[in-house]
Amino acid sequence: MSDLLKGNFTTKKQVSAPSETANEDSLETKFKKAALNSIGGSMVYVERTDLTWDGEE
Amino acid sequence: MAKILFINPVVREEDVPRHIPYGIALLAAIAMKKGHLVQVYDANAHRLPIETIIEVCQADDWDAVCIGGLTTTYNYIKKACKLIKESAPNAQLIAGGGFLTSMPHEIFEWIPEIDVGCIGESFETFPEVLAKIDNKDFNYADVLGVIHRDLTGKSFLTNVRPNIKDLDTLPWPAWELFPLDIYFANSANLFSEESFTSKRRMDINGSFGCGLTCKYCWHLGTTGDMLVEENEHGDNDVVFTYGRNIRYHSADYIVSMVKHLHDKYDIDFAAFIDENLMTMDVASKGTWLKDLCNKWIEAGLQPTCRQKGIPHDENCKGVHWNGTSHAGLHRPETLKLMFEAGCTHLVYGLESFDPTVLRNLGKGSNARKNKQSIATCLASGIKPIPNIIIGFPEESFESVRNTIEALVELGITAKPHFATAYPGSEWYYAYKDSIMEQYDNDLEAYIMDLGDASKITATISHEFSPMQLLGLQQIVYLKDLRLLDLSEKHWAPVQHELSPMIQPKLSFNLKTVKEAGPLAS
Ligand code: SF4
Repeated sequence: MSDLLKGNFTTKKQVSAPSETANEDSLETKFKKAALNSIGGSMVYVERTDLTWDGEE
Repeated sequence: MAKILFINPVVREEDVPRHIPYGIALLAAIAMKKGHLVQVYDANAHRLPIETIIEVCQADDWDAVCIGGLTTTYNYIKKACKLIKESAPNAQLIAGGGFLTSMPHEIFEWIPEIDVGCIGESFETFPEVLAKIDNKDFNYADVLGVIHRDLTGKSFLTNVRPNIKDLDTLPWPAWELFPLDIYFANSANLFSEESFTSKRRMDINGSFGCGLTCKYCWHLGTTGDMLVEENEHGDNDVVFTYGRNIRYHSADYIVSMVKHLHDKYDIDFAAFIDENLMTMDVASKGTWLKDLCNKWIEAGLQPTCRQKGIPHDENCKGVHWNGTSHAGLHRPETLKLMFEAGCTHLVYGLESFDPTVLRNLGKGSNARKNKQSIATCLASGIKPIPNIIIGFPEESFESVRNTIEALVELGITAKPHFATAYPGSEWYYAYKDSIMEQYDNDLEAYIMDLGDASKITATISHEFSPMQLLGLQQIVYLKDLRLLDLSEKHWAPVQHELSPMIQPKLSFNLKTVKEAGPLAS
């Protein structure tokens, strides 16, 4: 049974939501959202994927 | 019969999906009524990677893939159209909704994959386009209310489609084609205790239009405010006016629809997404809302807490509701009846408490009415939700002070939105040149940046820079008159030495006259 498409007939192919990712943010994404929502004071968020500096000057 | 796929784009990525798309659900119902084969992929509800569209497009041999939404969905739609055309090259790609109606030629240039677009009200345009596709006739030049292309890709706009006269001839939206459980899980919101505890909320649209002319507002071409005329290059283009074809559903239509939703889906809350319930009530000479409330109660939809005059709790049965109001147009006796019928909160676009700002806004309200509206609404038992904006073209330290003083007096805490010139609005046409300047002449970059006005995109304040507006937003939120005084002391002496950031201009696309588009006979 297709769970991503809803209609008044049956499509040739079924399309289902990938079970692991459907409606689920990864823990990292959930954490980022929560952290960004509470930024202020000493609370900061550092984007871990954006830093390209390798420590060499 | 044509095989049609509807795609509902992701809206407000930063928030959870909250609204079943009323327009798409209605068009899906119309298409099914005409006998077409219809499927819906609700990307907003599922929030899967955008590439899922490829799989969806390959699920069948679609004759048409349809996508549409407001301007704020532009980013998603642009990426989606590319994937749709690659994975369903034989299907006609149809677009519609506010994002297209406000700037049809630009959108056709930026998204070359779109084959045909429905402009403005599409209840009759869309089935006509589908009938053409069904007959494999892809020449849309004789369909009113569309934008289409010639073989070179150049876009053409046909003449304006008359608005339908009787809204009650419309079927109910095809809610059953949407993943309702996802929307129900996000029913609750923070506007009132009743909406905070809502478990199964659905949206209702009772009317089209509003008689007022706020300069930041536009009506998606669905209210008789849109004409099509030749521009300076001799091409048909959209022109917006103060014209109105005010239309509303009968109370019977609305109440039987809500009764159906209550019986079938057990809804406990109906959110009216109408532009302005009160201007509709005025258009009906004060009869529409009264009729609606009386019939709501007669149909057994009145919540038990209101029936018994007891506080709302989890045992309450019935359907609460909310809508939009206007500071100068609500009447205490109507509000009282609305409360009895289950109305919990009303959104008031008060925007400002400054006389100059309000006079120029076209809202038909003033600072006194704005202040009174809060007390009058509270007295009825309904919660007022006032919207506040800063960054108006004529915003000044004085106007901000007037707003803060009123917020203090009324006990309102608000983090104001920023005045934003959405395409289609009067502000957009007046400030288009300044907006382009602020985005390095890349209009598409501006469109991609637009959100829900909680951030600054292009500034339209003549006096304040983005830096100042960000500070003023925080000062209004804190209601801190001391910080405002200090800022004024520091800035005001130099402010008049600076050249204005922004200059308004006259535009072909806007006529400030009450010239309405055609209405079907
Ligand atoms: S009152 Fe509301 S709906 Fe009417 S023009 Fe103003 S903003 Fe738009």
